[in-house]
Amino acid sequence: MAGLVKQILQGNAAILADGEASALVAQVQAYEQRSIQEPLKESTLRGSKEGFVENIRANQSLIRRRIVHADLKMEAFTIGEYTQTEVALVYMQGLADGEVLASVREKLRGIELKGVIDSAYIEEWIENNSFSLFSQIQNTERPDIVSASLLQGKIALLTDGTPFALVLPVTLWSGLQSADDYFERFVFVLLTRFIRYVMTFISFALPAIYVALTTFHPEMVPSNLMISIATARENSPFPTVIEVFLMMFVFDGLQEAGVHLPNQLGPVVSIIGALVIGQAAVEAGIISTPIIIVISLTGVAAYTIPRYSATLPFRLLRYILLFITGLLGFVGFAYGIIFLLIHLVMLESFGTPYLSPLAPFDGRRIKDLFVRYPFWMRGGKNQKGRQS
Amino acid sequence: MRSLLLAACCLLAPIALSACTDAVEPNQLAFVMGTAVDRAEGGLIEISDQIVIPSQLSGPFAGGGAGDAKSSVVVSATGRDVFEASEKIQRKMSRRLMTSHRILIAISEAFFKQDDAGKLFDKLGRDPANNMRDLTLVVRGDSAKELLMLKHPLERLTSIAAEKELHINGLTRFSSRQLILEHDAGGLRPLLPVLKVEKLKSDGKAPEPFASLYGFAVLNKQLRIQGILDEEESAAAGWMSGKVAYHGMTIPGKNGQGLLSFRLVHLKRKIRTKDCGESKCAELEVKAQAYLVENTTSLDMSEIRSMTETERYLNEEIQRNFQRTVKKIQRWGPDIFGIGEHLHRHDPYWWRSRQGDWDERFKTLDVTVRTDVRLISIGSSGGNMN
Repeated sequence: MAGLVKQILQGNAAILADGEASALVAQVQAYEQRSIQEPLKESTLRGSKEGFVENIRANQSLIRRRIVHADLKMEAFTIGEYTQTEVALVYMQGLADGEVLASVREKLRGIELKGVIDSAYIEEWIENNSFSLFSQIQNTERPDIVSASLLQGKIALLTDGTPFALVLPVTLWSGLQSADDYFERFVFVLLTRFIRYVMTFISFALPAIYVALTTFHPEMVPSNLMISIATARENSPFPTVIEVFLMMFVFDGLQEAGVHLPNQLGPVVSIIGALVIGQAAVEAGIISTPIIIVISLTGVAAYTIPRYSATLPFRLLRYILLFITGLLGFVGFAYGIIFLLIHLVMLESFGTPYLSPLAPFDGRRIKDLFVRYPFWMRGGKNQKGRQS
Repeated sequence: MRSLLLAACCLLAPIALSACTDAVEPNQLAFVMGTAVDRAEGGLIEISDQIVIPSQLSGPFAGGGAGDAKSSVVVSATGRDVFEASEKIQRKMSRRLMTSHRILIAISEAFFKQDDAGKLFDKLGRDPANNMRDLTLVVRGDSAKELLMLKHPLERLTSIAAEKELHINGLTRFSSRQLILEHDAGGLRPLLPVLKVEKLKSDGKAPEPFASLYGFAVLNKQLRIQGILDEEESAAAGWMSGKVAYHGMTIPGKNGQGLLSFRLVHLKRKIRTKDCGESKCAELEVKAQAYLVENTTSLDMSEIRSMTETERYLNEEIQRNFQRTVKKIQRWGPDIFGIGEHLHRHDPYWWRSRQGDWDERFKTLDVTVRTDVRLISIGSSGGNMN
């Protein structure tokens, strides 16, 4: 009887017959539903313009339309004491690894939440290490990314009420790869990936390197450049570290303001930002020009990372590296990078090492890391601990 | 949570109080671009540092124009050795001297003639604060300090000007690192460029003093100047010691009428040695590609025959000139070509017993010059202009 009440609360119709111990339940709900739109956050130049919506049925059909095969399995879970949210575990039988599947099922059953408002709730509950800077589960709005991942043997979780699907396991590299990488000719992808990887490094290391070079090892900078920097910094009131920190703080502040402002107010922030930090601060002599260049380059570099949530760890790392480098120079920078590498090497996403296939090295799977080899040249079945 | 806050404070506090680290801001540094070494009274060394003044450079973040007024200052002090003198300079300065960006070490001819310059370079090799990429050169006359105080019509600093002047003329291997290597090597003696201060007249104004390349100085094992080569000999010596990258040459025509000018590129040299009875014989082969750029003789270069003739004639001329230069240097003694070093590597047993008196042996060594200069272009106009 309690089960029946639950079904009715979910909008189903129950048919009770006299003298029968069981009832028939039919799904007759009709929801208000957003139409399928292009996902703005993950737009690509080429490829599908469809994005997930809040309705899990529509999302499931988007995947089913792309993968027409009996091996595509969807298991339903109900999570959330009050919200009774439906979560679908989607995988390809035969491609996905059984052990990973079993552990995900077990974790899903173990979730004790009052409610699931977004897939982020589930992400935090099932990920291996919640204290890591790096997310071990990818979220995406794109059905084509989910389908491609499923075919690689990954597992997806669809959550009712949110367009964001979860994909697992992931590696560091999957955050740096864009769907466009697979849609463009592979030769050009070599260039764009190279740029993206270099820019990613710049996005967390450049402010620290600048501080280390100019204040700890000025002999390493070419003479003319060093004298130019010295000329620019002749009347600076703050030490370089503080100046860089202030600029980074202001930059991130403006970025945060821009995210939350309604569209009409966006230009106001950019005008104030450009005038205040771009011009007035330099003219007043508070901030020196090279630092503006360094910080804007760093900021732009972070935007080359295709997924917003993948930029976040690097934005935080920037500060950590800056502090430790401001203290110890390149020694500190080296410490920072070493600890970062130690953490990344130790980190796992559902049995897959986070730096795989680079560490541990896997020659067959590395074909999708730096160079995206043409599809016919790729091989290797993904399983636990072995992912590309 | 409390421990996290504490950790954050621990990280933040030292940055605010960062005076105790070895970080130094660019505006606490005095960039030394050039150093001059002179003799002072009573056997002391006078060190003069040319220091840039960043605030005097034009523009907020600009490279500065030609000969900015007072964009540098020269500070001198005397001492018993380099470090003592440098410390005295440091005491006069409000900023820490930074010698890693030095471009030039200018040493006066007088210093090389009378002092043991080897001691000078001990500091350069030992002190890690030197980058050793700086050029070392000799300033003709008594005062190297004067060179640093000159104004250059094109460049911001005379040090930069001197470095560029050498670089643009293909003289690239004269760093202080090279000098230290040569000083330490058994069978190679240093060759240093010599700058001379002369008057340059520019657009009607009073002539201004100006430093320009004069030639090369030949130094012996004790780093004393044995002699200074003139322009033509310098070119030959530079080429034969493998330190010059390109060279222009003008020779008189074969029958004494007109002139032929060549641009020589891809300058190479090779040493070969063989046994000649008791001693060794050395052969210096110089190779180059020649471009004919000016021809005022009556030769018609569009004819193959005159081309091959010119090539042969050019080779003969170079051979004659170079042989003469070798003879002159052999008379002075120091082996600037590195023939000793070649023997050291190819015949170490022979070398071991003779390295002690190499300078004496070099004087009587049989050195022949061979040339292999190819004329690869006669220029864009083949025949003679009428």
